[in-house]
Amino acid sequence: MNTSIYAKPVAPRIVYRPILATLVLHGLMLYFLTVNWTDTGGEVTRVKPVPRVINARLVDVSEFKPKPKPKPAAKPKAKAKPRPVAKAKPKSKPKPVAKVKPVAKPKTAVKPKPKAEPRISEQELAAIARADLSHAMAQEEQVQATATADEMAASFAALIQQTVVNYWNRPPSARNGMEALLAIQLIPTGEVVSVTVLKSSGNTAFDRSAINAVEKAGSFPELQNLPSREFEKTFRRFRLLFRPEDLRY
Amino acid sequence: MQEQLSLLDLVLDASFTVQFVMAILMLASMLSWYMIVNRFLYFRNAQDEMYQFEERFWSGVDLAQLYREGNEKAADGHVLLGMESIFRAGFKEFSRLAQQSEMDADAVIEGSRRAMRVATMREEERLERHLAFLASVGSTSPYIGLFGTVWGIMHSFRGLANTTQATLATVAPGISEALVATAMGLFAAIPAVLAYNRFASRVDVLSNRYDTFTDEFSSILYRQAFALRTREKQVN
Repeated sequence: MNTSIYAKPVAPRIVYRPILATLVLHGLMLYFLTVNWTDTGGEVTRVKPVPRVINARLVDVSEFKPKPKPKPAAKPKAKAKPRPVAKAKPKSKPKPVAKVKPVAKPKTAVKPKPKAEPRISEQELAAIARADLSHAMAQEEQVQATATADEMAASFAALIQQTVVNYWNRPPSARNGMEALLAIQLIPTGEVVSVTVLKSSGNTAFDRSAINAVEKAGSFPELQNLPSREFEKTFRRFRLLFRPEDLRY
Repeated sequence: MQEQLSLLDLVLDASFTVQFVMAILMLASMLSWYMIVNRFLYFRNAQDEMYQFEERFWSGVDLAQLYREGNEKAADGHVLLGMESIFRAGFKEFSRLAQQSEMDADAVIEGSRRAMRVATMREEERLERHLAFLASVGSTSPYIGLFGTVWGIMHSFRGLANTTQATLATVAPGISEALVATAMGLFAAIPAVLAYNRFASRVDVLSNRYDTFTDEFSSILYRQAFALRTREKQVN
């Protein structure tokens, strides 16, 4: 025991736990930051877990007829986006709107009936059945008319693909099974900002031909019709796969 | 640039000044967290020991006995802190002065109060250790971060001036890495400010308790000193 009350105080040393806590905290923060960082950054390049790969091959025009796929969960939205036909002419607007309208009518016609008359005669039953049927049919038609965003994006992707294929001059050294994956950056006006090879085919001539095809295509002005959200989601950066499948040698 | 920028790339590609700023901020953040945890544990200890000691003190135990218990604890290598060290300082001074029969009760109490005041000051000093650092990290690190950001943005715009075709892509990475500095500054500052405020209020609470204890204890001592002196007078 020291003799003086004015002796130097001895503070308890609390060292290890704070150091440990500090290191753990900063380590965790760094870890989560780096992990999340790449994830959020990756969302721009990879829209879906499966990369948006566009198989660039020569396609028949007949294949490009719009194949409406009725979506089971599609809700009848009055503001259905007009489905641009594969040729991506934005003229198709009036059509779907006209189709949407009749849907509302049967709906309102059907509903009040059961309420007003609890006992239903056979004729009325038949009428209701008919109304239901027409309602269902109208709904189906509407679903067909409704282009989901995915379909729209797909049609634009097809458009890009076709344009690029038109400009594609394959070198004689191209063989079946060659694959070149290109990363393409677009801006909302549809112009190509940059093209880079993500995965080379192993054949420089083939890679160069693919890059040339995209550069010759230059821009896809039709993309201006795409809503900007869709554009950001799908076409700001996307990947294009070049694969000469149609070659016979 | 084509690929996504990882955080690490942003930090590593930054200019020297920005990197320097980031290093300072990282250091500040780590130190302040060290001190936060350190202070947290210290305050928890101090509070626990204060409650324990108060309980023991008011349980009616003999003061000399309590002092001896403290001696034993100190001999075990236990560091006596807070209220107990104030008590020991006051009691030691009291017993020393009380042995000198020429001092009257007032002088004895005055002496022991002085000793307790010194001990209290020392305790407060211990409690407030590191708090100044937390306060200065809290108030300056946003500015340091901002400095790094401004510097980085300055540079990336200067780079923009040299190019003929100005696109966002030429400045964006520079700005992004510069902004990391501000983020780090805020990251260091926010916990430091919060902790500083919290700890400052705890220091206030604890030192109030110590002051109260000092007054209570000196009134007890006064009673004892007075009784001692009257007994001595009767004997004489």
